[in-house]
Amino acid sequence: MRILVLSKSVPDLVEELALDEDNGELLHDDMTYVPSEWDDHALEEALLLKEEVGAEVTVLAVDTGDVDNMLFTALAKGADHAVKLTGDFDLATSNRKRAQAIANYLRDNTFDLVLSGVQAIDDIDGQIPAIVAGLLEWPHASVVTEVSIQGEQIHFRQEYGGGLQAEFSAQAPLVLGIQAARKPPRYASIAKVRQMMKSSTVDEIDASADTVPELEIRRFFKPVAAGHAEMIEGDPEEVADRIITILKERKLVRG
Amino acid sequence: MALRYVLMAATVVLFVVAGAIFVGRFWNIYQVMRKSRATIRTDQIGKRLISTIEQVFAHKRMLKVRYSGVLHLFIFSGFVVLLIDVVGSIGQVFSPGFSIGPVLGMIVDIWVGLVLIGVAMAVYQRAVIKPERYHGSDETDGYIILSIITCIVVGIVVHESFYPYAAGPIFGVKAVALSPMEFLAYGLSRIWVSLGWTGATAASIGYAVGYTMDILMIWVFLAYLPYSKHLHVFLAIPNIFVRKMGPHGELVTAPVPEEGIAIRSFRDLSWKDVLDLYTCTECGRCQAVCPAHAAGQPLSPKMVILELREALKKELSGEPPIPLAGGVVSQEELWACTTCGACMEACPVFIEHVPKIVGMRAALLEDGEIDKTAQKVLVGWDRQGNSFGQPLKKRPGWTKGLEISIKDARREPVDWLWFVGDFASYDPRIQDLTRLVARLLQQANVDFGILYDGESNSGNDALRIGEFGLFEALAQKNLEKLQEAEYNMIFTTDPHSLNALKNEYGKYGFHRPVKHYTEAFVDLIDQRKFDLKPLGIRATYHDPCYLGRWNRIFDAPRELMKRVGVDLVEMPRHGENSFCCGAGGGRIWMEEVGIKERPADQRIREALTLEGVTHFVMACPKDVAMFTAAVASTGNEGRLKVVDMAELLAEAAGLGVPDTLVAAR
Amino acid sequence: MGSILVVTEILGGNISDTSRELLSKARELSQALSGEVVAVGFGSQAAQALAHIDADRAIAVTGQAVEQYLPLVYERSLLQALEQESPQLTMVANTTMGLDLGAGVAAGRGVPLVAYCNALTVDGDEIVAQSQVFAGKLLAEVVLPREEAVVTILPGSFPASMVEGHPTITAMEAASVPGMALIQILAPEKSDVDITRADILVSVGRGIQDPENLTLADELAEAIGGVVSCSRPVVDAGWLPKARQVGKSGQTVKPKLYLALGISGAPEHLQGMKDADLIIAANTDESASIMDVAHYGTTVDILDLMPALTERLRGE
Ligand SMILES: Cc1cc2nc3c(=O)[nH]c(=O)nc-3n(C[C@H](O)[C@H](O)[C@H](O)COP(=O)(O)OP(=O)(O)OC[C@H]3O[C@@H](n4cnc5c(N)ncnc54)[C@H](O)[C@@H]3O)c2cc1C
Ligand SMILES: Cc1cc2nc3c(=O)[nH]c(=O)nc-3n(C[C@H](O)[C@H](O)[C@H](O)COP(=O)(O)OP(=O)(O)OC[C@H]3O[C@@H](n4cnc5c(N)ncnc54)[C@H](O)[C@@H]3O)c2cc1C
Ligand code: SF4
Ligand code: SF4
Repeated sequence: MRILVLSKSVPDLVEELALDEDNGELLHDDMTYVPSEWDDHALEEALLLKEEVGAEVTVLAVDTGDVDNMLFTALAKGADHAVKLTGDFDLATSNRKRAQAIANYLRDNTFDLVLSGVQAIDDIDGQIPAIVAGLLEWPHASVVTEVSIQGEQIHFRQEYGGGLQAEFSAQAPLVLGIQAARKPPRYASIAKVRQMMKSSTVDEIDASADTVPELEIRRFFKPVAAGHAEMIEGDPEEVADRIITILKERKLVRG
Repeated sequence: MALRYVLMAATVVLFVVAGAIFVGRFWNIYQVMRKSRATIRTDQIGKRLISTIEQVFAHKRMLKVRYSGVLHLFIFSGFVVLLIDVVGSIGQVFSPGFSIGPVLGMIVDIWVGLVLIGVAMAVYQRAVIKPERYHGSDETDGYIILSIITCIVVGIVVHESFYPYAAGPIFGVKAVALSPMEFLAYGLSRIWVSLGWTGATAASIGYAVGYTMDILMIWVFLAYLPYSKHLHVFLAIPNIFVRKMGPHGELVTAPVPEEGIAIRSFRDLSWKDVLDLYTCTECGRCQAVCPAHAAGQPLSPKMVILELREALKKELSGEPPIPLAGGVVSQEELWACTTCGACMEACPVFIEHVPKIVGMRAALLEDGEIDKTAQKVLVGWDRQGNSFGQPLKKRPGWTKGLEISIKDARREPVDWLWFVGDFASYDPRIQDLTRLVARLLQQANVDFGILYDGESNSGNDALRIGEFGLFEALAQKNLEKLQEAEYNMIFTTDPHSLNALKNEYGKYGFHRPVKHYTEAFVDLIDQRKFDLKPLGIRATYHDPCYLGRWNRIFDAPRELMKRVGVDLVEMPRHGENSFCCGAGGGRIWMEEVGIKERPADQRIREALTLEGVTHFVMACPKDVAMFTAAVASTGNEGRLKVVDMAELLAEAAGLGVPDTLVAAR
Repeated sequence: MGSILVVTEILGGNISDTSRELLSKARELSQALSGEVVAVGFGSQAAQALAHIDADRAIAVTGQAVEQYLPLVYERSLLQALEQESPQLTMVANTTMGLDLGAGVAAGRGVPLVAYCNALTVDGDEIVAQSQVFAGKLLAEVVLPREEAVVTILPGSFPASMVEGHPTITAMEAASVPGMALIQILAPEKSDVDITRADILVSVGRGIQDPENLTLADELAEAIGGVVSCSRPVVDAGWLPKARQVGKSGQTVKPKLYLALGISGAPEHLQGMKDADLIIAANTDESASIMDVAHYGTTVDILDLMPALTERLRGE
């Protein structure tokens, strides 16, 4: 079983997002980037499968300029290989273009299972795993919480609203968007990551850049922020009425 | 005469056998020590000697637990006296007519009496008092040893008492009468006389029995010891001599092993760690003071040592090795430790628990095993340099709302550089206190500055969680900024930062003066920088582990309280015996599994036993978070006010404490 | 002009509320663009479920393979429909099914996709979509191409369509693709409460004062369809199990609604819930820190407020 884990880095939401408010552009170079948390879950699920059935795990990232540390961290956690797709990419490269490069790579390299985070916080033009699958015409599923290998079949659980789940079986090759791994993602100590940097390498593969359908983004802007709570005045009955109205407006209660 | 040769032969043969067993055992231990990590423990010889004498002969730490200390002193000193007896008795057998004389004889007898009193006290303690600290220790071994000791000292008196009558038949020398100075032997011999047991046969048997109980038993003791906890008889003194000398608060000393600090197998221990394992007396003093143990968590520092020792013994006997971290010592035990250091402070033979625990944590961490909340904190330190998951840019956010702006020490020289720390920078409750400290400094006209967003967490807790790499990264970041800045002294309210700056950064060549705010404020008061009105309140003071135990700063906070007119009432556990709030070593971010009563809550109850005490004073930002929650969760807000030192000083200096301070409420 | 294709989700014989929201927006856009609204539904109940919706045409995809949701078959069948319709805009909800289908068909058709869309407007003959990204911290305004595009719509973005219509319904045979099979459907276990999964949390703090008052919270939770959670002192007192604790040493939650009742908002507590979509706090102390993160606040006594709310919810 060969598993490919797709990973990408996204702006760190802890820090202020860098936005040029005059022309509505994101200042990619002024932001700090961190691995997308759902991708961490995908990697964890892959590593659990490795521990269970001895899969060979490769992590892949599109070289947007800041991915080495992320890849070495994945190696420190237990991935077997790390691949970096190089080419005409930077932090502003669209998901569509990244997905195309990954799909091209998958055409040339055989994998049974591709795991990735179900989504990322900057998926404005779509979620990478599903696009990759769509481009390759491979079967895929999103919001997956549990994967297991049962003989030739890959079993997985997909989650719906309200905690409902369905279990499916599928044949390889298959792409799954992971919502949550069975266990919280493991920690990679700094010492181990450093050790990986010394002892292992990231394969660099030149990925051809196709033209892909791109979106025209007019601007980014901040939603109007709420500060201190809006106080609801009145006696308990009046307050209750008002709260019910608010909940209804937000469709949190029926009516 | 034949009996003499029997005794001589038995003495020699048993000695050789026991000696061989004894040496073989030590050889094994030496082999393990030889293969373990290096550590330098032969510096500062003078200091080491003095400390060894204090601890060994004056029983300094032993006497902290009075009853046990006294009884041990009796028995221990008996061992010294035993040497006189060994010389005397063997001399008698091998060189007929040899005598140590009545004066030494009297000393031997006095100590025989003291040892017997000590043994009786020990039996009473084990059988009747039954202190909790013995829980988990090998009690049978304790009783065996006490029996052997009793046997030996009784033997001493017995063969001495028969000597005058047995000297002729066994040794063919003229008997010298016992001097009444050797009162025990003398007294006993009076009994033999009255019983008529002074004939050649009876006296010979009596003497032989006594000699066997004494000398031959000593050899048995010698052979038995290395397999019992009483190995400390031989190892305690060297172990105390090679104790950690300091800086006390430095957890990882240079040279740092290239492969990191993780302890996975016995090879990853230092030779002193190995020696520690064999030296442990199972006295349980460490267990008795451990906050994790008191909270009902599965940790006992004593059991950590004993588990390691057992595992090492098994490994030496050829059993397959078990991983130390998470195997021999469970994950739950390792993560429960607050690194408060109370165990190390209590251990009479200077065993170092904390470095072992942290080393094993490091091994767990390398395997990716760590509490998930703590993991988030580690990631936060790595990314933003703080544990609050807040932007780096917001680190100086607390300075907003101050009337006078604070100097940026990265841009201009300052007299005092204030290293603020995470909690004081980010915790909204503590920010008010931080601003108060700033106002106090401004009031006293101190020329001070901060590093703004150039400061990162000091790494003290990261290191104690076992993440040495992260500690190093954080230290490097801070050192870079500290190198650029110009200042005369570092000032901090945070004992954890203080510890890192003062002790842990030394291995990177950083040796600038660092002062805690309590010390600095006492200086300012003495320079008459404040106009103080005595507060006239009765308060107790909690020594933070990283200020008190690890940095020996006990007086400054007390002086400060005195100067602002606070009537200090000490809690039973104070100073070096202070009881941890439970937050250290990364515990503040970990899930509380199996906690029956939180250490902080226990501490509040302890303070409540003090009469007329209305205030609980702290000198650590983490304590503010811990104890504010603790008075709330124990429902004691009405009875006890938890306040920070800065609030006391501000109040006395007429600065006006903002009523937003949760602690003051 | 171009048509708008709406992918509906059908559960228990009815189309979902979210699908109705998509339909109302589709109708509005189609009027501006003078195009048609075409709905697609799956399964044997689709024809009936789509019979009275506000669409011009409807395609009922039928066949054994689409009786239950099966990502692969749904996607291929939808691609068939798109092949036939070539709509200017395809709208799917940002549900699990929408996440599968939206990106899959956009890639399959080689057209762009806008994810997490929460507003759509017509500007001339162009459609402008608003996408909510970076966990809601930013919005993006995106111009869709005139030819064809796919959007996935966040549930709750538009009012649900209540208009009755009479679409012409055509049937379409589901695509037949082997390779993926449904094994079983697993209903959520009700017994073990996982507060991190609840959409609505009724969270109580020390303001609840007495364990007996917890019944008020239980009743409210039941009436509102939520779960009771709490602050640490409530757990310390042994009034609720540890699994219900929100905060630093408890669970981190992100529900759609967090009712903070008698909680002061200590930093350790805020850390666990500040990202909830909607926070309504009741605390007799107006200056309590919880008010800094809450969207709405009130200073009425929670012991009065809880029954008042329960009564209204039950009265519905
Ligand atoms: C990963 C993810 C992230 C999200 N993030 C956000 C966010 O940040 N903000 C936001 O506002 N919303 C977000 N959402 C959307 C939000 O969670 C939706 O409100 C929720 O998924 C809607 O659930 P639903 O019941 O309408 O549809 P789902 O439960 O997702 O179901 C989709 C459709 O699948 C079919 N189906 C479901 N169960 C079965 C079954 N047992 N058998 C056969 N068919 C079945 C039905 O046709 C159903 O309508 C996110 C959703 C996901 C999946
Ligand atoms: C290391 C550590 C970890 C911690 N972890 C957590 C954690 O995970 N989760 C957590 O919650 N806490 C945690 N705490 C504790 C935290 O510091 C606070 O003590 C706790 O959150 C306070 O809980 P509370 O808001 O319920 O109580 P309080 O702070 O006492 O607040 C009660 C509030 O109720 C209001 N009130 C009273 N009566 C009424 C009424 N009738 N109607 C309306 N309002 C009323 C009061 O005005 C007050 O604001 C932790 C503390 C530490 C030190
Ligand atoms: S350092 Fe403190 S918590 Fe850790 S074992 Fe020692 S006494 Fe216990
Ligand atoms: S480690 Fe020290 S204090 Fe603890 S049981 Fe052993 S000798 Fe006693």
